[in-house]
Amino acid sequence: MKQYRFFMRILACLMLVMFSALAIYSGYSINTYGSRWFAYSHNPRVKSQKSKVVEGSVFDASGVKLAWTDENGKRQYQQDLSSRKAVVHLLGEETGMVANGVESFMSNYLLGFDTTFWERVQNLFSGDQSKGDDVTLTVDSKLCTAIQSYFPQGKNGAVVVMNYKTGAVAALSSFPNFDPMNITESDKTSVDAPLYNRVTKGLYPPGSTFKIITGAAALRYLPGVQTETFNCTGEFHINRTTVTDASNEKHGAITMGYAFAVSCNNTFAYLAERLGFPAMGKTAEGFGFNDTFLFRDLVVSDGSYPVNGDADELAWSGVGQGRVLTTPLHMCMVAASVANGGVMMEPRILRGVSSPAGVQRLSYEQQAYKTVMTESEASILARYMRQTVTSGSGRNAAVSGLTVCGKTGTAQYDDVHKKEHAWFVGYIDSDDYPYAIAVIVEDSTAGGSTVAAPIANKVFTYIKNNFPKAE
Amino acid sequence: MKKKTRSQASRAKAMSNIPVRVMMLMFFIAFFLIALKKQINAQEAYDALKAAGDPSAVKPALDLFSFALCLIVPIMIFIGTVVLGKLLPTDPVLLSLTNFLCALGVFVLYSTAPDKGLRQCMYYGIGIGVMALCIYLVRIVKHWRTLSFIVFPIALLLLATPLVLGTEQNGAKNWIYIGGTSLQPSELVKIPLLILLAYYMSRRKFFSWMLFCLIALAVLMLQKDLGTALLYYITALLLYYASTGNLPVSLVGLGGGAGAAYLGYTMFAHVKKRVALWLNPWSDYDAGYQIIHSLVAIASGGLFGMGVGLGSPKSIPIYYTDFIFAVICEQFGMLFGFGVILVYVFIMLRGVSAAMDARNQFDSLLAMGATIILSVQAFIIIGGVIKLIPLTGVTMPFVSYGGTSMLASMGIMGLLQGVASKNKDALIREESYVSSAGEVSL
Repeated sequence: MKQYRFFMRILACLMLVMFSALAIYSGYSINTYGSRWFAYSHNPRVKSQKSKVVEGSVFDASGVKLAWTDENGKRQYQQDLSSRKAVVHLLGEETGMVANGVESFMSNYLLGFDTTFWERVQNLFSGDQSKGDDVTLTVDSKLCTAIQSYFPQGKNGAVVVMNYKTGAVAALSSFPNFDPMNITESDKTSVDAPLYNRVTKGLYPPGSTFKIITGAAALRYLPGVQTETFNCTGEFHINRTTVTDASNEKHGAITMGYAFAVSCNNTFAYLAERLGFPAMGKTAEGFGFNDTFLFRDLVVSDGSYPVNGDADELAWSGVGQGRVLTTPLHMCMVAASVANGGVMMEPRILRGVSSPAGVQRLSYEQQAYKTVMTESEASILARYMRQTVTSGSGRNAAVSGLTVCGKTGTAQYDDVHKKEHAWFVGYIDSDDYPYAIAVIVEDSTAGGSTVAAPIANKVFTYIKNNFPKAE
Repeated sequence: MKKKTRSQASRAKAMSNIPVRVMMLMFFIAFFLIALKKQINAQEAYDALKAAGDPSAVKPALDLFSFALCLIVPIMIFIGTVVLGKLLPTDPVLLSLTNFLCALGVFVLYSTAPDKGLRQCMYYGIGIGVMALCIYLVRIVKHWRTLSFIVFPIALLLLATPLVLGTEQNGAKNWIYIGGTSLQPSELVKIPLLILLAYYMSRRKFFSWMLFCLIALAVLMLQKDLGTALLYYITALLLYYASTGNLPVSLVGLGGGAGAAYLGYTMFAHVKKRVALWLNPWSDYDAGYQIIHSLVAIASGGLFGMGVGLGSPKSIPIYYTDFIFAVICEQFGMLFGFGVILVYVFIMLRGVSAAMDARNQFDSLLAMGATIILSVQAFIIIGGVIKLIPLTGVTMPFVSYGGTSMLASMGIMGLLQGVASKNKDALIREESYVSSAGEVSL
């Protein structure tokens, strides 16, 4: 009817918009989350595929076979117990009890869900039992085994090493770990949660390692801050609380660079107060806090920085306490971004995928996650981090013959019992060994400089002695 | 001169039959492959048993019925498009699209649950009959006023029967069982709803349709059938806008609906739970497994699907009705899923154009109402399955398993086709009038 035509056209447009929303939303969500949904541990398709397909093998960067399926169809891991424990969180295990390990998260390759139609037809005619693809990781399993021996016995925590130029993860270790071929009941129920991948899932207060971000914010929003002198009285009173320094030190008149090197809480709490939540929040979010991490190879818990709060919270957030939480991998990315001139790379563990016939299906492809600061900001922070290792709290991380930069941290997580996590994040400033590290030891007996920095020292020494020079 | 136009017309007609023939061939091949696969599986199972030395192994007979089905479904498509099109003047595009969706439903169901597929095939056949009946009804009824007096109370009584005779399913009490068969009155009442809305709105009887809708919505709320209530409500609201163009009142209606939805959210525990699961289904596997398995299935299908008969469509809860779109995406892939959405878009566009071409207000609103209810229903269920909106239990028109749903959808399509058919008649009349007028002037 003529009189209705105009309104009917409008309704037609409305319904067209509704149908477009269906198509756009489904396309978007499958594109964004599809691989995560597929790798969901309750996906029955993965399980049923295991009975039809010989699962592919997993290799490390130097060609060590980490996981394979034997002729009886049983999944095998390395013979040596300590070697297979050292990579267990990275690899996961068959039943998917470790969330998003390679064995479950990359099952689309390992179980051959990506085989082409033509390959399926060939398999049909040749009658071969079809095989899944082989996966090669960026990780060096020997480094992981070495890290296992460096880590204090009986302690919980995590170590992650990544190439800051490419984002390739070289080692990923979470402690305590367990034997994937013999999972005990206590592994599943222990309060230490051995099945938990602390590198990607453990959310910790970053403590003083967060001063990298507070420092970046100060450099960006407080012009001339580098030449200013601050007065550290050992106690910085806010409304409800008082920010003190480790072992109640008083630094007196101090510059920002020196305050960074000796990890002066007074100065950085004061800087956070001066910056305010908007500037601090904007900088922290620039570094990836409050982001939803959707990396291609790794499922990582999101870091969080409070976007508002009172003066006390603001001061404490400046030294990485209070409601600031993030994962060791994210802090490693923060240190890596300083080393890489302000560009944060997407962390990756997948080096390549090859078909059973030996055809390379996928190869490493690096991608910047985001640019978190300017090159000049990064170079100033790099100088501070270098100073920390040469003459500050990070001296224990120094390796002769390498330019090591870093930041220690001691994060309190239990005010009553004065429990602390020891942190170290840092990197080797070198084109030959472009590696960044994050170390955390939970509930440590001493701070980051005495507990975490020596681990970094050993890892860097191992890299210097065993790794080939990067091209 | 005349001869040439006739041959052109017949050629055009033959051209319009090509998509139908392609469709018939496609479903023939599809059902043939499924039958073959079934036969091979049975043979392999027998061989394995024989190799194991099991004496109870029975050599599988040729499953003739499976192979017969690959002829039956194409024949039904032929009846639903070409034969029906010959008997009654209809819109051939709408017919083809409708039959495609129906046959797709039968195929998906047959490949996952053969017994359900066979029953759906039967419903499809009956559905074609119901569609023809509704086309005929729209063509012959002249006294809609008399009909509305009869339909009004009967529809409401039918809608209310589950309150007395019904049983509860998935938190809603909207089914009745008569003599071994189950029936969902709220599906069937859609047809009288559309007729009454179109009649009262075309006569500007605001309070009459309002009264009907309020009673119907109250009854549906009592049955906790919120998906259907939502569908009725949106249909009435959009049709009101189409009939008056009164944006302020429509917006007030929309606000009232939002208020009622919020009230429902606070009143019904199962609605609250559904909204929470929509926001984050992954938080609780036991409660969110429906939507989780739907999303996992769609993700597993990827762009091109896992292949018919492969994957685990049965791991999706209620895969045969509410979640059938997830099955389609798993088996055929996301791109095919887009194609199915596109089919609904074309149905909507053809429906709106039939409504705009209608020769009187009643016909126009009837066609528009039918278009709206089918489109909105498809949107609500597909949107729920892909987690765009909270999941509400309505069926996917023409595709979902279920006799009542199939009959209702085909009946609604019949109303729409009836209007299209009257438009066609009118067009022919007008053309002959113009040509005879032309001869006179000569």
